[in-house]
Amino acid sequence: MADDAAAAVSVPERTSIPSGDDSVWADVSPLLESACKDLRDGELIHGDNFNLFAAMSALEIMDPKMDSGIVCKYYSIDEAIENGAAPVPISINKTVDVQCTIDIMDHLLACEATWHKGHSLAQTVFSCIYLLRPDRTSSHALLHSYCRVIRATCKAVISVVSDARTHEEDDLFTMAYGLPLDGDGDEKCLSLLNAVEETISRQLRACKAPSSRRRVLEDMEPLQTNLDLEEGYCKALLCRLRFRKHFYHALTSMRRPQGRGLELARKHIATCISELDCIYRSSDFLRSSACGTSEDGIENRTTASGCQPIGFDASLNCRLSAPTPPRAIKILSWKKAIEYFVKLLHDLDIICSYSLDPSLEGVLQFVVQFQKSQPDLVARAHLQLLLVQDGKLYGRDSMFTVITRAAVLPEVAKNHDVQKNEYFVQLGQLVINMLKILCTNAAWQRRKLGKMLQDWRVMYVQLELAFRKEFGEVSRIPEDENVCVKIFQHILLWVEEQTYWIASRFLILGFELELYSPSEYCMVYWYMYVVLIKLSEKTHLKMAAKNDMGKRKGKKKRDSAKDVAREYRIPPAVLFLQCQICLAEGLTMMLAALRNEHMILQSRNPFNTEQERFIQHFELLQKACIPDHVSFHSFRESTTYARLSTLVMYNYFKDAQRIAKEAKSSFSNDPDKLAELRKIEQVAEHNSIALNVISRVGALDPTLKASFEFSHHPYFATAVVKRS
Amino acid sequence: MELEAEKSLIQAESSDGPNSNSSDFVAHVRKLLFRRMLVGIRDGRFFLGTFHCMDKQGNIILQDAVEYRSTRRSSTSPMEQRCLGLILIPSSCRSSCHVGCSIEEQLSLLKL
Repeated sequence: MADDAAAAVSVPERTSIPSGDDSVWADVSPLLESACKDLRDGELIHGDNFNLFAAMSALEIMDPKMDSGIVCKYYSIDEAIENGAAPVPISINKTVDVQCTIDIMDHLLACEATWHKGHSLAQTVFSCIYLLRPDRTSSHALLHSYCRVIRATCKAVISVVSDARTHEEDDLFTMAYGLPLDGDGDEKCLSLLNAVEETISRQLRACKAPSSRRRVLEDMEPLQTNLDLEEGYCKALLCRLRFRKHFYHALTSMRRPQGRGLELARKHIATCISELDCIYRSSDFLRSSACGTSEDGIENRTTASGCQPIGFDASLNCRLSAPTPPRAIKILSWKKAIEYFVKLLHDLDIICSYSLDPSLEGVLQFVVQFQKSQPDLVARAHLQLLLVQDGKLYGRDSMFTVITRAAVLPEVAKNHDVQKNEYFVQLGQLVINMLKILCTNAAWQRRKLGKMLQDWRVMYVQLELAFRKEFGEVSRIPEDENVCVKIFQHILLWVEEQTYWIASRFLILGFELELYSPSEYCMVYWYMYVVLIKLSEKTHLKMAAKNDMGKRKGKKKRDSAKDVAREYRIPPAVLFLQCQICLAEGLTMMLAALRNEHMILQSRNPFNTEQERFIQHFELLQKACIPDHVSFHSFRESTTYARLSTLVMYNYFKDAQRIAKEAKSSFSNDPDKLAELRKIEQVAEHNSIALNVISRVGALDPTLKASFEFSHHPYFATAVVKRS
Repeated sequence: MELEAEKSLIQAESSDGPNSNSSDFVAHVRKLLFRRMLVGIRDGRFFLGTFHCMDKQGNIILQDAVEYRSTRRSSTSPMEQRCLGLILIPSSCRSSCHVGCSIEEQLSLLKL
C-alpha cells in the first residue's frame, strides 16, 4: 500500500493525464495540509459560486453506496480473464468441466429471473464473464451455444419491453449500454444449439445402449470421463439446452404480427414447462455428484448442484449499470428462479390462448382478468404488444372499427365520412392509450387511469360541442333520417360509459394497492356506488339502443307482443352491475350506520379531516366531474342519517344476492363472470347475516364491534362481528 | 443565479470574517480555487476536475470531475476515463494532490 501511494504521487508525470499547455503538475499536498491546520473549525475554502445545498449532492468517492468505480478484485474484465477468473475450458478434467458448465447455466437462469424482476442487466446476466467476451468461448461448443442463446434471448426480451414501453418505473430494465448484446453469430444461435443438443443426445443413447451395440457407437466420444455419471450429466444438459431453445422460440413466435404465432408459441411454452420440470428434478443427481457441497443454505444457492459457479463477477461492469447506484444485488435462488419462469410461462400461455376477441368489452374483461394474477413485466409487455400493433387492435382491426362495434353504431357508419373526423381519430388514440395503460403494473396503471379520466371527459365535451354545432338542437331533427345524429348519439353514450368504466377500475385498483384505510371504506364504497350507477345507466341505454336497432331490422317478422317482453328484460351486463351496486350501497350504508351508532372501531386520524381525505382519494374524479354534481357534501348528506334499524328493513344485501342469482343464469358460458357473481353472492350473504346479528344483539351488548375483511372478494369487504 | 452567488459570497465573508486574519497558507489555497486539480486516491484512481471547495478536515470537492482508472494492476497500463461531475473526495482516501500551473508558479509554491 505504501508502495502504491508512493507510486501514485509521482504518477502524473508518467501517465497520459495532460496538465495543459505550458504547465506542469505541481504537488500541493503539503500546502493543503498546512492550510487545513490554519483553518478554523467549520471554515471552508470556496469561491463565489459555492452553494452548500448543491455541494451536498456531490458524489462521495469511496463510499460503497455512491461510488460505482471502486476498484474491487480486478481492474478490468481482461485482467480478470488473465488471472483465470473465467477459464476456457473450465477444467481439463472433462467431468469437472461439465459440472461447472451446468453450474454456469443454472446461475445464469437465476440471474435472468433477477433481471426480469427489475435489476440491471449489467449486474445480473452480464455479470458472467463468458458472456462479456463472446469470442473466447468458441472452442467450447457447449458453453458457446448456451452463451449465444442467452444473449439472443436477452435481446429479444429487451426489444419486447422497450417496444411496449410498459417498463414503467423499472426502466433500467432495457438499459444495455456497453454490453455485448450482439455477439457475432448470435442470430444463428439456434443452429449451434441444435448441433450441440444432437451430439449430447447421441452420447446419451450411446451410454444407455447395451454393451453389444455399444461397439457400433464406439467412435462416439463420451461427454465426460466418468461413465457412471454419463447418463445423468447428458440428461441434465439436454433439458437445460432444450429449455433455452424452446423459450427463445416461444418469445419469437409470440412476436409474429396479428397473433399468428400464438398457437405455435403455446406448443413451445408447453415444452418449456416440461423441460423446467426436468431441470428441477436433475437437482438430486447434480447435488449428489458434486463434491464438497454442504446441505446448509441450499435453499439460497443459485445452482442445482449447490456449488458456486465459476466466471461471475458483478463488480466488473458495475460502472456500466449507471444510473443505478452501485448496490450489491441479491440474485434469486435457483429454486425461486425456476418458480419465476414457471409463472412467466403460465402467464404467456394465458396470453397465447386468448381468442383475440374482436369486441372491446371482451378485450377489457380479458386484460382485467389477466392482471388479477399479477403478471410480471415481460408477460405484460407481450400482452400489450399483442393488443396494440401498428395502431390497430391485434394489428388487425382499425380503432374506428373497434369503436363502431363498442358503441353499437349503425351499419352505415362503417363507410361513413365520420371516421375521418378529427375527434374520432383522437378517440381512437385514447382507446389505444387506455389499452396500453391497462397492461401496466397496478400502481402505475391507477395513476395513469386517474389522469386519463380528464382526457375522456374533455373528449366528451368536445364531441358534444361539435355535435351541437353541426346539428343544432337534437329535438328539431327527425331522428330516423339523420345517420350522423345517430352516430353522434351512440358515440357520446359510449364515451360516457367508457369513462365510468375507467373510473370504476381506478377505484377498484385502490383496494388492490391497499390505498384505503378501514375508516375510509365508507366513502370509497359510496363513490363506487355513484360511479357504478352511472355506468349501469349508460350500459343500459346502449343496450336499449342496440335492441332498438335490431328490432327495426326485423320489424316485420316479429309480433309486437314479443317485442314488449323483450324490452322489459334487463340485459345481463346491467344485472351484473346492479348486484355490485347493491353491494356497494349496502356496504356504504352499513359502514355509515355503524359509524353513526358508534359500533365500529374508529381510529381518529390525527393528520387530516375526512373531507381532506375525500379530496385526496377522489381529486382526479372530481376534477373530471365524474359523476357530475357529486361532492363531499353529497356523500355526507347521504350517509349522516343512516341507521341500522332502517337498514335492516331495507336490506341491500338481500337484493344483491337475489340479483346475483338471477344474473348467474345468463352467464353460464362465462366462467370468469360466474366466479365473480358467486363471490358477490357470498359477500352479500355474509353481510346480510352480520347486519341482522348486529342490529338485534348490538343494542343489548355494547361490546359488540364490527370489522371488515376481504375474505370472500378482493374489493367487496365482508363484515365480521366480534365482542371486543 | 448571479444574485445567489453574490449572496453566498456575502455569507461566506460574514461567517469567515474578512480574509485579513486567515493565514498565508489559506490565502494561497484560496488562490488555487477554479484551477485544474488532479487528485489521486488509494485504490489507484485519479480524479481531474476544477477545485471547488476544501474544509478543515481536508475533504475536497471537485467540479466537472473526470475519473481516470487503469485497466490493469500494473501502472503502465492504459487508462480509461469517465465523467462524474461534482464529487467529494474524503481526505482519508486521498493519496496525492496536484494543481496545474506554470513552472515559475511551481517554484514559488515550493518555497512555501
